[in-house]
Amino acid sequence: MHIDVFSVFRNSADFSGVLFYYNGPLSQNVIATMGETLRHRLGCADAGGPKARRLFSSFIEMAQNALHYSPDAPGYPGEKVGALAVGRRGSSDYYIVCGNLVHRDQSQRIRERIEPLRSMTVEEIRRAYREQLKQEPANDEVSKGAGLGFLTLARDATEPIEYSLIDMPGHEDDLAYFYIQATV
Amino acid sequence: MKDFHIARTAHSPEVDFRFSEHRLTLSGEAYPEDAAAFFNPVLSTLEQYLKSMDDCDIEFNFQLTYFNSASTKMLYRLFGLLNDSACTRNRVVLCWHHDVEDDTVLEFGESVHDDFNALEFRPIAADLAAL
Repeated sequence: MHIDVFSVFRNSADFSGVLFYYNGPLSQNVIATMGETLRHRLGCADAGGPKARRLFSSFIEMAQNALHYSPDAPGYPGEKVGALAVGRRGSSDYYIVCGNLVHRDQSQRIRERIEPLRSMTVEEIRRAYREQLKQEPANDEVSKGAGLGFLTLARDATEPIEYSLIDMPGHEDDLAYFYIQATV
Repeated sequence: MKDFHIARTAHSPEVDFRFSEHRLTLSGEAYPEDAAAFFNPVLSTLEQYLKSMDDCDIEFNFQLTYFNSASTKMLYRLFGLLNDSACTRNRVVLCWHHDVEDDTVLEFGESVHDDFNALEFRPIAADLAAL
């Protein structure tokens, strides 16, 4: 890497308040190790208590989501990859953003699951979460968490979940990048 | 029935089911890679124990400090088993250990309390961060 390019990368990460960034293969062990690192960073940044717990929870939900639902990276059979960043937003909030591949035919399903949560009040999210808890696990081939994952993210966030689906260049027919961001 | 124990790991909880003492404890954190694969054997062992008991006082200690969404789903099934047993054969006390600051665990406890009302719910405020 050219040092100038790295300098731009570093400055722009600094400007965006990035505390933690990872881009690469995902596994359960990588996720657990990153989770511990994140806790340590938050401890140093004086973000203890409930906010640190909600951040950790959102981080794990996003990372495991990427691990469980991503198709293999093209050219790397069996390998799941994802990018995650955690950073400061303003004086007391944090953001967590995750990007991973999804099958393009899942895009509509993802939109249908997240979009309604974006306009719900805190109380409505809480009610929907409790309703979902009581649902018997449906025979759902796709969802392992029975729809509780996005609700957990919405529950822990202070602002509506943001997301984006972008076709993967060169794989427009079958793959897309899924980005999701939460503010805690 | 033989006691049942699973050691704690970085992402799965300690399961300490002392059937001989009717004291069952779940502690640590739960975000295993595959929540169903981890919890299914725990649930089937618990179910077997509950079916073998009659008119018994059982204490269940919930001491988890973090559980991901997939584990939360499995925990609801676990409380369902305890509740069914408490409706028909045994008395079950659910000791809900929680950090005073942890509103997520507290709120989850409130849901459990509302949804499984045959269990005697006993909240216990503790400093779990020290464990």
